[in-house]
Amino acid sequence: MKALQFFPEKCTGCMRCEISCSYAQSGVIQPNRSVIKVAPLEGHTSYAPYTCVQCDEGWCMTACPVDAIVISPAGAKIVMEDQCVGCKLCTIACPYGTMFMDTTSKKAIKCDLCGGAPACAEACPTEAIVWHETEQGDWLGDFAQSRAQYNFTGLVQSQTG
Amino acid sequence: MATKKHLIVGAGTAGYNAIRTLRQSGSQDQIALVSAEHPYSRMVLPYFLEQGISEGHTATVSLNQLEKWDVELHLGRRAVSLDTQNNKLTLDNGDELEYDDLLIATGSSAVRLNLPGADGEGVHGFWTLADARAVSRLVSPQSHVAMVGAGFISFTILNGVIQRAGQVTIVEVAGRILPRMVDDAGAAVVSRWLEARGVTLRTGAQLKSIEDSGGKKRLSFADGAPLDADLVIMATGISTNLSWLKGSGITINQGIVVDDHLRSNVANVYAAGDIAEGKNRITGAMEVHAIEPTAAEHGRVVGANMAGREVAYPGSLMLNIVGVAGLDIASFGAWDDPDATVIVGRRDATNSYRKYLLRDNRMIGAIYVGESNETWSGNDLGMLKGLVQSGVNLDGWADHLSRNPFDIKRPYLANRVVSSLMPQTTLGQSSPSPR
Ligand SMILES: Cc1cc2nc3c(=O)[nH]c(=O)nc-3n(C[C@H](O)[C@H](O)[C@H](O)COP(=O)(O)OP(=O)(O)OC[C@H]3O[C@@H](n4cnc5c(N)ncnc54)[C@H](O)[C@@H]3O)c2cc1C
Repeated sequence: MKALQFFPEKCTGCMRCEISCSYAQSGVIQPNRSVIKVAPLEGHTSYAPYTCVQCDEGWCMTACPVDAIVISPAGAKIVMEDQCVGCKLCTIACPYGTMFMDTTSKKAIKCDLCGGAPACAEACPTEAIVWHETEQGDWLGDFAQSRAQYNFTGLVQSQTG
Repeated sequence: MATKKHLIVGAGTAGYNAIRTLRQSGSQDQIALVSAEHPYSRMVLPYFLEQGISEGHTATVSLNQLEKWDVELHLGRRAVSLDTQNNKLTLDNGDELEYDDLLIATGSSAVRLNLPGADGEGVHGFWTLADARAVSRLVSPQSHVAMVGAGFISFTILNGVIQRAGQVTIVEVAGRILPRMVDDAGAAVVSRWLEARGVTLRTGAQLKSIEDSGGKKRLSFADGAPLDADLVIMATGISTNLSWLKGSGITINQGIVVDDHLRSNVANVYAAGDIAEGKNRITGAMEVHAIEPTAAEHGRVVGANMAGREVAYPGSLMLNIVGVAGLDIASFGAWDDPDATVIVGRRDATNSYRKYLLRDNRMIGAIYVGESNETWSGNDLGMLKGLVQSGVNLDGWADHLSRNPFDIKRPYLANRVVSSLMPQTTLGQSSPSPR
């Protein structure tokens, strides 16, 4: 099975993934409508992209009261926009923080793997986002942990106290 | 091998999920469904009122699909008594149905206040499709709507009422709005937001009576001036639909008490959804969680167990979200635990409010209030659910959070919440597509 893998140490924070994602998802270049989110992990020196892991449970899918979320041929949990009523339940059922509401359409939006050719991976200039055969994983955990000694402003905290 | 007969009572969220799971598990057993109402989702009724969806869109499973699944239908019928000795259910037309195992998923009903005029004309609940139809027909740009009760259910229909009525007054007996969903400080943010949008709030108001007066409904209170309204919507609480189970031998407390397989004290009788009193995933306490995700999970677990699997349920997590006029309000888990360590973050300029409750360095509950633009440009909302659900030890990060309450993502990622969640499934396997 193909999956999106992230290599956070290669991410430069250029936001091309967010831009191409919002364009692929909603036809506009508007990063706040992107369903991949790049965030600084320590001050403004390390960034990492983050999106839906297409989890086995499908918390969004099983919570939806009107079965508006289904599994696509590409293996993604996808929102059928015409079925979504905009109740937001999926956004709190998802424990990964990767279900959103489109503030224009008032419908839920999430990563649909662009039907099997994710725009974010294509747009990434440094191969920090790769679409390939792999088991799904926690790509950012170790990286975020290794950055734990940096405080929020990006300065190294004194180790000696 | 003779097939079993599974009898499902109630075609709401829990009943439907049980039936779908039975068939998706490959069970060829007989299934019969008894339900007073046809299968629809109560929680999408507010979107019907908002006119965002048609009435038909509130339906969940179609009759066509139920036929394909070979479900024997008794729709429009009520169960009136249960004989657990002889495995027999009696319906309101006198029919008797036998079963090998039974699911009770009859949900709850809205409760009106017991005061003069509470059940008069022009006073409506908002619990059933019939209620939604009536309110939708009566509300108009000329009407002043009085909403009695400022709880979660009342708030789910607030957008629709604000959009379609001329004037809205919310009346609440407690000293503040959303008393069972957010804390005082969170409620204050929401109150300010609503008042700035022209909604009148009357908290601490004890309603005494509702009378007809000059073509209006006059609401009188223990203190203060009466209120004249054209339409009264009452959302003052719910109670479980249990009365028909008297004498059945089923153990009932607040709801039907169920074990971790969702079985009642009678081994071949399950209960699920609003009617069930099951385990709280965070505290382990036995509680009724009258929310959609609990009903769906309960129903799926019962379906799997009826299909012959042995699925234990870890308990349900209380979660609620409601959006009013562009402000999102959510709470998770034990958000009101008085003994927890509390971290609060607020930015009044953007109406952002966060509260995290920790015990032994684990997040056990959270409150979130924020404007939509902020909510949906980040991952925080769902990450709070993940922190509560996974129960990871936040260790040194609790300190980080108290200094940076708006930086949820780093503690979430660095504590490898993703790794801890990925193996979690409700039924011990990947969920199939619902359609
Ligand atoms: C307006 C509104 C908004 C809501 N919003 C939300 C929300 O945003 N988030 C959330 O989590 N929850 C929400 N809820 C709550 C949610 O809808 C319920 O928790 C959920 O429907 C419970 O499912 P259930 O299957 O237990 O019961 P129900 O869905 O109530 O189904 C019970 C079924 O049993 C039938 N029945 C009852 N008695 C009998 C009998 N004696 N014999 C035969 N059949 C019987 C009924 O007709 C019905 O078909 C909302 C509810 C309402 C009314």
